[in-house]
Amino acid sequence: MTEETLASAKTAPATSARPRPEWQRVLRWGGLAVALLAVAPFVLDTYTVNILIRALFLAALALTVDILWGYTGVLTFGQSAFFGIGAYACALVFTHYGFGPDWAVLALVAGVVAAMAVGALIGWLAFYHGASPLYASIVTLALPIVLTQVVFAGGRYTGSSSGLSGFPTYYWDLETWFWVAGGFLTVVTCLAVLFVRSDMGRVLVAIRENEMRCAYLGIPVPRIKILVMTAMAGVGAVAGFGYAAFTNVVAPELTGFLLGTELLIWVALGGRGTIIGPVLGTVAIDVTSSYLSGSLPFVWKLLIGFAFVAVIVALPQGLLPELGKALRRLLRQTPPPSPVPELREKPPSNIVDHGRTPLFVEGVARNFGSLQVLQGIDFSARRGELLSLVGPNGAGKTTLIRCLADGMERSGGKVTIFGRELGRWPPEKCVALGIGRKFQAASIFETLTVAECLRIARFRLERFSVWSASPILDLPEAALRIVKETGLADRLDIEVRYLSHGQKQALDLAMVLALEPTIVLLDEPTAGLTKTERERIGGILTSLVERDRLSVLLVEHDLDFVRQISSRVIVMHQGKIVLDGSVAEVVDSELVREIYAGSGHEAAGVET
Amino acid sequence: MSASEKVLAVEGVSSGYGAATVVRNVNLSVGKGEIVALLGKNGMGKSTLLKTIMGYLPVQQGVISLRQQNVTREPPHRIAGRGVAYSPQAEAIFHDLTVRENLVLGMPDPRRFDEEFARLCEVFPFMKDRLAQRAGTLSGGEQKMLILARALMARPNLILIDEITEGLQPSVIDRLGSALLDERDNTGVSIFLVEQHIQFALRVADRWAVLKLGEIDDAGECAAPSAAARIANHLAV
Repeated sequence: MTEETLASAKTAPATSARPRPEWQRVLRWGGLAVALLAVAPFVLDTYTVNILIRALFLAALALTVDILWGYTGVLTFGQSAFFGIGAYACALVFTHYGFGPDWAVLALVAGVVAAMAVGALIGWLAFYHGASPLYASIVTLALPIVLTQVVFAGGRYTGSSSGLSGFPTYYWDLETWFWVAGGFLTVVTCLAVLFVRSDMGRVLVAIRENEMRCAYLGIPVPRIKILVMTAMAGVGAVAGFGYAAFTNVVAPELTGFLLGTELLIWVALGGRGTIIGPVLGTVAIDVTSSYLSGSLPFVWKLLIGFAFVAVIVALPQGLLPELGKALRRLLRQTPPPSPVPELREKPPSNIVDHGRTPLFVEGVARNFGSLQVLQGIDFSARRGELLSLVGPNGAGKTTLIRCLADGMERSGGKVTIFGRELGRWPPEKCVALGIGRKFQAASIFETLTVAECLRIARFRLERFSVWSASPILDLPEAALRIVKETGLADRLDIEVRYLSHGQKQALDLAMVLALEPTIVLLDEPTAGLTKTERERIGGILTSLVERDRLSVLLVEHDLDFVRQISSRVIVMHQGKIVLDGSVAEVVDSELVREIYAGSGHEAAGVET
Repeated sequence: MSASEKVLAVEGVSSGYGAATVVRNVNLSVGKGEIVALLGKNGMGKSTLLKTIMGYLPVQQGVISLRQQNVTREPPHRIAGRGVAYSPQAEAIFHDLTVRENLVLGMPDPRRFDEEFARLCEVFPFMKDRLAQRAGTLSGGEQKMLILARALMARPNLILIDEITEGLQPSVIDRLGSALLDERDNTGVSIFLVEQHIQFALRVADRWAVLKLGEIDDAGECAAPSAAARIANHLAV
């Protein structure tokens, strides 16, 4: 079984029969869903159809929670608020203003616009630069509570605690309502599946996995999160509108925090991060609950509670992924290999030489409280220069790199990049100036594949489709060479958490170079690599410097490596620059030997 | 240093992630007071083997024993309870705790802190003035030293060390090598280390082994003059 899996995984990219486009697969499943929905009302009894219609609207809402929580990693308690806004837009317009096709369209548009406005505001509050994920949860927790109070305070207008009911609405027969709800859910689900599997959808997962790294790849994380929040608010409002128009009742509970929390439970039970899981989970739980609440009025909540605990403990991924696994075992099928894009070399872009100094650093300082980690750092980097930064552990090398790539990090001093002063800019703006930074520890997106990680790194330079995953991956030559020479090219479909430490480092470096930076900040890029791999990467870096005239700033401990590839060396000690000069001047200096190298290096030097 | 008294014995062990097998049919042992170095290229399964010994990954086949006791299915905390200290490769410190709190967590008996710490300060002098500092604010290299220091604080009888030299300045690597040798001579601890740094491995270890595609490909004594060339040959290309 395992060998089969490995074999099929290995041969898949080679045979490379271009897999069927995603939209065709989605269309087939969507067609199946439509067929089922078309027949269902004639097979099921009226009571079940009645409950199902409501469940279908709620399932669309659960889907928005899955995109926010399961994919983007925003734990939201507030989706019920947008559902409520849509529902109340329907009830208020039909009760107080009028009823008819025009009024219905107006109510729907008003509800969606209001929900999206609130969603954008909440997103803006929750996702400003540096806000912790907890903050988003608290803001979205407060929203439904506040909104419920607003409804309570509305008196006659909103119906206060008893809500509004009996307003004129479309009294279609049950089948029609069922088809409307089912059609809406099918369309939303199909679009959502296409979206999360598209290149843009992978960006959401990248944000969930490692938000900081996204910023350093030039991805405007706050903006994307606000956009997703806003769009999901709109979808939630449509679902709420339908729900209210069908049930002919709105109550403050629809906007409430209880529904917002129940949504999370449904999503978790169904399988978060799967779209289909939460949709089916919501429908199943809602229908079962309705039946049980009739026959076992008090016990059913207990049962749901137990089921929730049992699933969380035994199947932390939720029901759908486990069902899928069991089904595959039953049919003896291996999971389909994830499609691998074709690697292609991107022609080099012409970097314009403005004649300005790439990097100019003046008096940069950094304090942590009273601790001075950096003081009075002055240096500049020219084009076509490979500048190595050496010094004892704790000398402030990583802190300096951080100050160059994030405007918020400095406590004092000035950093100028190609003549433009770096203000208090977040990393994504620094990246736009041409800075690429590699972290000391490999910092990648654990649950994405190698190919997806590389794709994400191209975000700043390419247009990402919202509906499809591109079958071709264009990489600049340097990144492509690293991918090929470290064996990553054969493992494009592997989730990166299964890579070894050294391969993660290589992937991280390839991602930085895929950004096509003009100033490259590398914090121990070859740590964990063998000497051979290290030499190859050294060769790639030298060619970047010599041929493409990039500026590379490299933190490195291996003095032999430094000697081989650097054009200049800066020595740091206790937060200051103590030496800045050519390789010969610095590496063999007495000072370096004293504070840094130790006997082993000396001995090795004598031997060779 | 009788080889008959095996502190760690790995017999025919295969393991990996999920259904995938990364380590295949590995046999090796570490005697009392012995230092064994495992080398190999990236992605060959070195760290996976350490994680398996420590109980983080399930053994698919074979037997792992510590001092003649079968521990194949024991969870990590039980293995640690048997006197095994693990110094992992990636960041494994508690960022929000102080240096001192991190060190204390490694000790079965915190009352011995001052005594053990005085001993460690000879190896890691930087720690002396940093006990109250939050560990997350240490530099990358200092964090690596803290991981090893915490392993040593426990006075273990077996230490598993995953690429400790990565990201450390040369003089610290030297000092570390001496410290591990001293520790072995003074306490009789056994050490199993995974390394890329050939010189360091040969200087510290008694025996070496090379892992290739999850299997032991070659092994020998570190004192043999051909050792360096043979290992280098395995790691090249």
